[in-house]
Amino acid sequence: MTQATTFNEREMQICTVARMIENGRTYWVAGAAAPLYSILIGKRLYAPDAQYITEDGVIAPEPMLPFDPIMSMVSARAGYRALGWGTMNVAGAHAQVGLMDYGILNALQIDQYGNINSTAIGVYGREARRFGGPGGADSIASLCWRTILMTDQEARKFVERVDFISSPGFLDGTPGARERAGLPRGTGPWRLVTPCALYDYNEERRLRLIGVAPWVTVEEVLAECQHKPVVAEKVETLEPPSEEELDILRAHLDVRGQATGIERSHWVIWDGERYVRQAEEG
Amino acid sequence: MQVLEEGIAEYLPVDPDGFREWVRDHKSRALEPKLMSEQDAVSKFVEDGDYLVYDCNYLQRGPSSLLREVMRQRKKNLWVGGKFTWVAVHLLVGAGCADKVDCGFFLFGKSIDRYAREGMVQIFEYSNVVMTARLQAGAMGIPFMPIRSFGGTDGVRYSGAKVIEDPYTGQPLVIVPALNPDVALIHAHQADAYGNARIFGTGVAHQECALASKKVIVSAEEIIDTEEIRRDPGRTSIPYYAVDAVVEAPFGAYPGECAGYYASDPAHVIEVAGAALADMVDQYLEKYVYSVANHQEFLEQKVGVAKLLEIKKRVATKEGYQP
Repeated sequence: MTQATTFNEREMQICTVARMIENGRTYWVAGAAAPLYSILIGKRLYAPDAQYITEDGVIAPEPMLPFDPIMSMVSARAGYRALGWGTMNVAGAHAQVGLMDYGILNALQIDQYGNINSTAIGVYGREARRFGGPGGADSIASLCWRTILMTDQEARKFVERVDFISSPGFLDGTPGARERAGLPRGTGPWRLVTPCALYDYNEERRLRLIGVAPWVTVEEVLAECQHKPVVAEKVETLEPPSEEELDILRAHLDVRGQATGIERSHWVIWDGERYVRQAEEG
Repeated sequence: MQVLEEGIAEYLPVDPDGFREWVRDHKSRALEPKLMSEQDAVSKFVEDGDYLVYDCNYLQRGPSSLLREVMRQRKKNLWVGGKFTWVAVHLLVGAGCADKVDCGFFLFGKSIDRYAREGMVQIFEYSNVVMTARLQAGAMGIPFMPIRSFGGTDGVRYSGAKVIEDPYTGQPLVIVPALNPDVALIHAHQADAYGNARIFGTGVAHQECALASKKVIVSAEEIIDTEEIRRDPGRTSIPYYAVDAVVEAPFGAYPGECAGYYASDPAHVIEVAGAALADMVDQYLEKYVYSVANHQEFLEQKVGVAKLLEIKKRVATKEGYQP
């Protein structure tokens, strides 16, 4: 692996998740964008026997890359050479009996207990900006044994309590809250990955900062959290992406830079001594 | 059964016996041809005030040509089952056809935000799998479906869900109301004149939609002979007696892909998604829906032979998409 010298932070985020992918495990994803790209990089480089299932019931495909430029659900390229084809209720049932080890989700707004809002920002039903609803995320967050969450490192996205729980995390954080709500026991958020930080959930089911990118300090990350997470005793320094990871991502997956938002994300450059995050332009 | 918590939102009333009686009185069990034009199918089977579902969506092997016809006929007060959709909800609400949506997922942006703010549409909160579970209950003739997801969300409050004490385990359990829509629009790869339909590849809930709905319109890329259905019966996705109308609709999923038949048209997909994002749905409808009389005119005047040949040529693979 060769450490990359020029990349953006969303590429970093995708590659951080890619390194979590494990052989022999199943991953349930909504079928597009960053979560899927993480799995495909992980499968190619680290865990060839990791399998994924998409919301439309595609089981363990060998997709034709790159995907359709628009989206991949129900598409021939995305479902190519799968081991099985089903429907949404089939994928849901497989998850409900416990066959999905991990879910990976993009989140719009998230709170300290890993609850996700993708429905409305503001006061629901009155002063709110409308978003698209949970889609498949509530099922993924409910039924997979462990959930890996991805979101931007921005203060307004890290709140004490989300405006609307679209997909369940640890709810109010009390012991057994998920079970009391009817969710299967032993499930819940496991990691949260942002473009420059890594979190887990402590024994009290609270968000805990456990890693930061080499170009930011713990203080800088905390400044970008409206609700401050717990900080682990030892915060590790995350590895930057490798050239091999970026090659797969750029040449075969996100070929138009849609998921990585190349025009919106911070770029990071190796200046010969250290990684430096570029200021946002405009 | 003890109810621990329940949603406060309006939901389509649950009536399994009423649905059975509808099926008894209206679903023909005779093998009779049901081929008709899209105009006839939509004017006969989609009524103002209906609860309407479509399977897949405007951009992905959905009944796009039928949806355009619904908008052309200016249907009113539809309640739409918006599971896994991108822009269909925006188009139907923007066209003045729909004013209630059960939300699973749709593209967010200026148009839907404005429709909701101005009260043009009421939105009830579900999710994709919760909606397909509701349809599955409807398709099984039972009043509700217990699910192990959705619990603890605010969706439970703003939907027809309830949390009960499970009479078997004693644990809390989320249940959601069965959905028996008035009408379903489904796009298939192949169908015979009686409505035996084949869908190749993955899908969302076409079988559940077909069996749960009072009226079912199937559009198909190809009308095939019943002898071909009998030659490979395991390929039948939807049986004839669930279907009320069959519409021949080559390129019926355009601008979406119909896997195994043709690719999507990214330029058109971007145009319609852009219209939804930028609150320019009216302009889209004027340009592509109201200005033509039917699907054939749409293909001739708005898409053109060169584009149709191009998307056919760009088909990703046929593997798995033919018997």
